[in-house]
Amino acid sequence: MGDTGGTTMKATGVHLKSVKKSFGAVDVIRGVDMDVDRGQFAVFVGPSGCGKSTLLRMIAGLEETSGGEIFIGDRDVTHEDPADRGVAMVFQSYALYPHLSVYENMAFSLRLAKRPKAEIDEQVRQAAGILQLTEHLDKKPAQLSGGQRQRVAIGRAIVRAPDVFLFDEPLSNLDAELRVQMRLELARLHQKLGATMIYVTHDQVEAMTLADTIFVLQGGYVQQSGAPLDLYDDPSNRFVAGFIGSPSMNFFNASVDDQTRDGILARLTGQPDLTLNVPLSQPPAKGATVVLGMRPEHLIVTEADGLRVTVDVAEELGGVSYQHGTLEGGDAVIFQQTGARHGMHGTVQTVTPEPGRIFVFDADGERIR
Amino acid sequence: MSKMKRRRRELRDAVLLISPFVFVFAVFFLYPTYKVIALSFTDAPLIGEGQWIGLANYAKLLNDRLFYTSLWNNLYFVLLTVVPTTVIALLIALAVSKLKGRMQALVLTLFFLPYVLPVSVVTMIWAWMLDFQFGILQPLIAAVTGKPVPVFKNPYWVMPMIAVVTIWWTNGFNVLLLIAGLRNIPEDLYEAAALDGATPWQRFWRVTWPLLWPVTALVLTLQLILQLKLFDQVYLLSNGGPFNSSYVVLMQMYREAFQLNNGGYASAIAMVLFLVIVIVSVLQFQLLRIGGRK
Repeated sequence: MGDTGGTTMKATGVHLKSVKKSFGAVDVIRGVDMDVDRGQFAVFVGPSGCGKSTLLRMIAGLEETSGGEIFIGDRDVTHEDPADRGVAMVFQSYALYPHLSVYENMAFSLRLAKRPKAEIDEQVRQAAGILQLTEHLDKKPAQLSGGQRQRVAIGRAIVRAPDVFLFDEPLSNLDAELRVQMRLELARLHQKLGATMIYVTHDQVEAMTLADTIFVLQGGYVQQSGAPLDLYDDPSNRFVAGFIGSPSMNFFNASVDDQTRDGILARLTGQPDLTLNVPLSQPPAKGATVVLGMRPEHLIVTEADGLRVTVDVAEELGGVSYQHGTLEGGDAVIFQQTGARHGMHGTVQTVTPEPGRIFVFDADGERIR
Repeated sequence: MSKMKRRRRELRDAVLLISPFVFVFAVFFLYPTYKVIALSFTDAPLIGEGQWIGLANYAKLLNDRLFYTSLWNNLYFVLLTVVPTTVIALLIALAVSKLKGRMQALVLTLFFLPYVLPVSVVTMIWAWMLDFQFGILQPLIAAVTGKPVPVFKNPYWVMPMIAVVTIWWTNGFNVLLLIAGLRNIPEDLYEAAALDGATPWQRFWRVTWPLLWPVTALVLTLQLILQLKLFDQVYLLSNGGPFNSSYVVLMQMYREAFQLNNGGYASAIAMVLFLVIVIVSVLQFQLLRIGGRK
C-alpha cells in the first residue's frame, strides 16, 4: 500500500484510446483519446452536457464503455469492476454514508477489504490528520458543515491509497468563499500526495487554477488539451477561445479586405471605416468571411482610431472594471479597465486591440494562424 | 395592545379551523370510546342501560379459557404474518426497484391490485382456490401432503392459510412503502460503495438495510397493529373453527356483543385488546428504534 502520510503515492497514468459512449441512440462521447501522465492534475472542463462527467464515470467504471479502451497505468481496465481499477472518486454530492460516523465512512473500504484493525485505524487517523478532521471522527455526516463533508469525502478517497483520484465537480455545492479555500487545499493535497488526479468542473477558473493539463470537452470530443496558459494564449478553435478566459472573448464578424505581406487587413462587419491589420502565416483569400476574437483584457482605451463602443453597463470590481457596451453595428463588446474609477457608462469610448492579440477563426470556428 | 388583539384574532381563527375536526372526533371517537370504557364496568346488554358491577367483567375475562385461546391465536397469527409479509414485501420491492419506467409501474400495479379488493372478494377468491373438491390449488397441496386437505376445516392448516390470504391481500401496500424508502436512498451511495469494493450483498447489508430501516420499522409496526385486529378473514373463511383453532379476540368480542347480547363483557374484551395492542406496538417500536440506532 502507498504511504498516505508521506510525500508519494503509487501514482499511475490514465490513457484513453478512442473511447466512446452512447446512451441508446444518443452519442455522448464520440471518440476520445487522452493521456494523463502519472502524478498529473488533469481537469475536464466544458459546458453542461458536454460529456465530461460521463467520461470520468467511465474511467471510474460506473458507466459501461461502448467502444475503445481505458488504461490505468499499463493495465486495460475497460471492462473491470470499479473496485478493481485502483481509483477513488469524490462525488459532487459527497455520497457519504449517512448512518456511519466520519471514522466509519473513511474506514469503510478497508473494512470491506478485511484489513487488520490496527492498520485501518492508522490509515484513517493519518488521513484525518492531513484533512484536519481528527476532532470530528465520531460525528455523523449530518453534523458537519459542507466543507467538512467535502473533506471527509476526500479522506475516504485518500484512505484507499488509490492510483488515481477522480473528482466529479467536488466544489460546486460549496459557497464562493469556501470554494476558493478548498481549491487551494486541493492544490496543496495534490502536491503533498503526488497522486494522479482527474477533476471535472464546469468552472473554467477552477480549471485554470488547479490543472497541469486542461481537457476542454464539447459535443463528445476533446476540443483541445494543454497547459492552462497554452489554452488561453493559443486556443485552437472558437469554442475553446470563448470558454477559457473570464469574461469571455469578444467575437466580431469580419471580412478579409486584402492580404498583406505578413497577414490580412480585416474589416469588421458594420464598421466600414475601420480596418485592422492582423499578422497571419496562412492568410485566407481576399473577400473571405472570418471571425475576429479579442479578449476583454486586450482591448485598450485609446485616443487614436479604433472600435467605438457605447458603454451601457460598468462592472466595478475595485482593482479592475469590466465595461459592457455595443459597437455601432450592434455587436456586444466587453473591455477591461484597470485603475480607472470614473464611471464610463453612457459614454462612447474608443478601444483598440493589443497587437498580436487578435485571434482569427474561419466560418466553421477553426483557428487560422 | 394591537399585539394582543392580533393574538386573539389568530386564536379565533385557529379555533374556527380545527373545530370541525374536533367536533367529528368528539362525536364519533371520543364519546364512543368513553362509552365503551364505561360500559365495560357494567352488565349492560348491547342496547340499554346496565348495573355498575365494577371490575367483574375483567375478573370474568381472566378466567375465560376461550379468551386465552383467542389471544394465543392472535399472537400465533402475528407470528405468521408480520415478519414474513415484511420480508416478502422487501424482496418484491428490491426486485421491482430494479425495473425501469413503465415496466416498473406495471409490475407495481400488479402487486398492489389485491390491496384494492374488499375482504369479501379476497376471501371468496381464496375459498374457491382452496376448495376441498374444486380448488385449483388442491393438486398442489396433494402433491406435497399426498392428499387434498380441507384447509379451513383443519386445525393445523387454518391459521397458516388465513395468514397466506392476508399476506397476499395486504402486501402491496408494504411494497409501496418500501419502494418509496428505497427511492430515498441516493444512487451515488451505491456507486461509492461499489468503488469502495462492496459486493452486491455487502451493498445491501451495509447501505440499503440500515438506510431503509426506518421504513422497515414502520412497516413492521403498522403490520403488528393491523394483524392484531384480525377479524374479517377469519369470520369469512373459517368462522373461528375448527375447534376454536382460528378463534381470535375480536371474534369473541363480536360474539359476546352481537350474538349473546353482552355489551358490558364485550366492552371489557375490547378494552383489553386495546391495551394489548398499545403495549405490544409501543414495545416493538422502542425495540426497533434501539435496533436501528445500533
